[in-house]
Amino acid sequence: MFHTEEESIVTMINHIAQNNVSAGTESEVADMVENHITKFWSRRMKKILAEQLAKGTEEFEPAALVAAQRLSAKVSA
Amino acid sequence: MLQHFDPKKDYGTPASLSEKMVTLEIDGVEVTVPEGTSVMRAAAMYDINIPKLCASDNLEAFGSCRICAVQIEGRRGTPASCTTPVDAGMKVSTQTDKLAKLRRNIMELYISDHPLDCLTCPANGDCELQDMAGAVGLREVRYGFEGNNHLHAEKDKSNPYFTFDASKCIVCSRCVRACSEVQGTFALTIDGRGFDSKVAAGQDEQFLDSECVSCGACVQACPTATLMENSVIDMGQPEHSVTTTCAYCGVGCSFNAEMKGDKLVRMVPAKNGDANHGHSCVKGRFAFGYATHKDRIKAPMIRDSIDQPWKEVSWEEAIGFAAKRLKDIQAQYGRESIGGITSSRCTNEETYLVQKLIRAAFGNNNTDTCARVCHSPTGYGLKQTLGESAGTQTFDSVMFSDCILVIGANPTDAHPVFGSLMRRRLREGASLIVADPREIDLLSTPHLGDSTHLPLRPGTNVAMVNALAHVVVTEGYEDKEFIASRCDTKAYAKWREFIIDERHAPENVEEITGVKAEKVREAARKFATAKNASIYYGLGVTEHSQGSTTVMGIANLALATGNIGREGVGVNPLRGQNNVQGSCDMGSFPHELPGYQHVSDAVARARFEKVWGVELDDEPGLRIPNMFDAALSGEFRAMYVQGEDIAQSDPNTQHVEAALAALDCLIVQDIFLNETAKFAHVLLPGSTFLEKNGTFTNAERRINRVRKVMAPIAGKEDWEVTVDLANALGYPMSYSHPSEIMDEIASLTPSFANVSYAKLEEQGSLQWPCNDEFPMGSPIMHTESFPIGEEGKAKFAVTEFVPTTERANSRFPLLLTTGRILSQYNVGAQTRRTENQAWHDEDILELHPHDAEERGIKTGDWLGITSRAGQTVLRARVSERMQPGVVYTTFHHPGSGANVITTNNSDWATNCPEYKVTAVQVEKVSQPSEWQKNFQDNHERQNEFLRGSASAHSAVK
Repeated sequence: MFHTEEESIVTMINHIAQNNVSAGTESEVADMVENHITKFWSRRMKKILAEQLAKGTEEFEPAALVAAQRLSAKVSA
Repeated sequence: MLQHFDPKKDYGTPASLSEKMVTLEIDGVEVTVPEGTSVMRAAAMYDINIPKLCASDNLEAFGSCRICAVQIEGRRGTPASCTTPVDAGMKVSTQTDKLAKLRRNIMELYISDHPLDCLTCPANGDCELQDMAGAVGLREVRYGFEGNNHLHAEKDKSNPYFTFDASKCIVCSRCVRACSEVQGTFALTIDGRGFDSKVAAGQDEQFLDSECVSCGACVQACPTATLMENSVIDMGQPEHSVTTTCAYCGVGCSFNAEMKGDKLVRMVPAKNGDANHGHSCVKGRFAFGYATHKDRIKAPMIRDSIDQPWKEVSWEEAIGFAAKRLKDIQAQYGRESIGGITSSRCTNEETYLVQKLIRAAFGNNNTDTCARVCHSPTGYGLKQTLGESAGTQTFDSVMFSDCILVIGANPTDAHPVFGSLMRRRLREGASLIVADPREIDLLSTPHLGDSTHLPLRPGTNVAMVNALAHVVVTEGYEDKEFIASRCDTKAYAKWREFIIDERHAPENVEEITGVKAEKVREAARKFATAKNASIYYGLGVTEHSQGSTTVMGIANLALATGNIGREGVGVNPLRGQNNVQGSCDMGSFPHELPGYQHVSDAVARARFEKVWGVELDDEPGLRIPNMFDAALSGEFRAMYVQGEDIAQSDPNTQHVEAALAALDCLIVQDIFLNETAKFAHVLLPGSTFLEKNGTFTNAERRINRVRKVMAPIAGKEDWEVTVDLANALGYPMSYSHPSEIMDEIASLTPSFANVSYAKLEEQGSLQWPCNDEFPMGSPIMHTESFPIGEEGKAKFAVTEFVPTTERANSRFPLLLTTGRILSQYNVGAQTRRTENQAWHDEDILELHPHDAEERGIKTGDWLGITSRAGQTVLRARVSERMQPGVVYTTFHHPGSGANVITTNNSDWATNCPEYKVTAVQVEKVSQPSEWQKNFQDNHERQNEFLRGSASAHSAVK
């Protein structure tokens, strides 16, 4: 159980990556995570994700990190 | 051929399904009917009506009353027409002097032991015995009324909804047969023999103390006043009837609301109801008293803050107040600072309007619905694999199923009318596999044949479904032809490689699920080798952190065995509330416009923009849990909630309450002061299903009409309130009837393109997709292709098992799972305000004797249940239905605080909360929890605020 909204956002992206770990290579899993978040997450959730990423990458699963970086680039673009 | 269906006519015996026709002669009339039809039914089909008492066309022929005797040329005696099948060339006479005398004699015997109080009898005007006495011309009772009789038998008034008056019983067994054949409970029997024969409930107990589930089938079957609704005893016979759709569960039963003026006398299940075929449950049949309960909100109310009493105001003032607050908040905090929640209890038209209001008038996609917390994984999982976010079958399809797999569902409690149909099929010999932590009642179906219970640990559904699929593939049970022709090759190859891995073998998941490997293998073989195998699942699948994965795993299993696209098979989500399917179809989710059209789809969006006259946001909006988080951070300030009690039904209550308390403006539209309304600033009176027109869509995608039988208590149907709010916000909405809203839905939603009120009147109901491709709707989907990809091929999904992070440990050693009970519905706002309280007036914690003994707990003890989220106190029931280590409760009573202990863990894909797995500790306590004490204080305070408004209003008057 997580406690803050920021924690929950990181937990959620990691959770998506973990549940799709068999989707293929790390890059393919990252594709899946990126597509999922693009399609289902609100603007606000994506913004918090980008903010969390800016604070540090250690809490992110590898594929989730790749996806977060790509999504973050889109938010700031 | 006179075989058109007349719902009011009783043909005496069930229809024969034979396609071979037989011609015979009845009273000189040549009749042609399917082989196997009874003489009684054959005659009735040609409007030759043979007297009858023990026969009814929803029950198998019984042949006990003998009133229906006929004469057949070349045959001796006077056979009962109900038990005599037609023969080619048969010549039947239904009215002869001999038969007339015989029938009069039989009736004379009946009446010699029957009270002659017809004028004061509650069945007066609706009594088959009276009708038959008239039909046979009974003029005297030669035996007199002295001697042994049953005229002074005691009444059983134990059931709150009906009375059993044994003095009026003719022992025709219709009630007993209805209980067995229609409901499948077998609670009634005939005790004794000959003159001593009598109807008995259970072991000759009071009805309320017996296994009777109060479905009303016996009351409906009774041809006299023996089993009679108390409402008819009190009010007399109804004078008109309107067919409408029940507003309880996702079965969507059709009922005739039988009325006296605008007073509802009784709800009688409609024989021509496509979902229920004349059957009902205790909720739909009897629990409608909430509609006229004293707690109904009868006038709009406003207040500046939730610490203040309510002020009763006009509709104009309330709507103006709400609109100004919404506009002011948006002006100060931005377009995305407000949002709303549509209701899965309201109609399709109302749900459509609320999401339209949010997208078009609020200007954002911050719309969500309670499906978020129940079946959102179904929407996601089935869309990914089968291409459509809905179940594939009709309910009737189960009658063609040879093996029924039930995962995480409890149909006899949560979808009782469908549960009865399923039980009927099980009695006919279909095998049953139940994957559930609890031993659900379906497993104790009387006359159940082959059944397997897989009592898996909560949170291990994915491992179990994968293990079943592993056996199917590795033991060579795949339907290779189906897979090759109907499924995407690449996705299948990937899945196959995944699923054959030894880690999914039953022997290797035994540690995870707790179910013996051989049992899983047997179940998989049984499922895979059945001619038709079907899967039914419920919230025990979806409300998990891997809910969407399990849904996809279920689709994989159906695809791998070729069990999709015909009768008797399929993937069947049992939807919780009456219009969960409809609220999802109507675009309630923040990422989808009506008809599951994604907000980023420019072509779809453009069509909506053209009709709605505004530009729409192309980014998904906030989901319910995101709204709570955003409210706590101060970015989300106002919410419009129609017919949904998020404060009681959503998990982690304290988090929800803090979020609601943080809002500047909460507008609640509901029929009662529900838990959410206690945090509201604007309270708009809602209308019940009896007070409005519209449609509901049930779990089989069936769109059914809801018809108004009484005026809305506060003057407006729910859709009219949304229209007023939109207009007050400066976004024009103008509809004069919900049929116009449906026309707009049909114009924008491809799967609804051919749906209209005119067509619904004509057809009774329609199952979407209903468009040019499927002009009469689609009872069974995916018969030839799947609406996915360019080739229309289903997609296997790789379903990795990722255990929930919510695990038992030394501090929280037990797993709590939550569920429902037959007599109560969801948050209980409706059923708690009915006599259904007689069955379940508090939520109880069930636990296994082993866990109870370890803690010194006995049934009836007060237990503190503590999780990582909070604590609550419930009474204990020690029960072997639970497995050791697992405890269970319901959430029908707000003061129970079941959701104080559930956590904010959720499904990875949809955020559907993980209600079904919460690690807890349980111990004996002597007083309510802190939350419960605060709840009670706030409950009393908020009710005082409400009473204050009512008394102020009456003082002004």
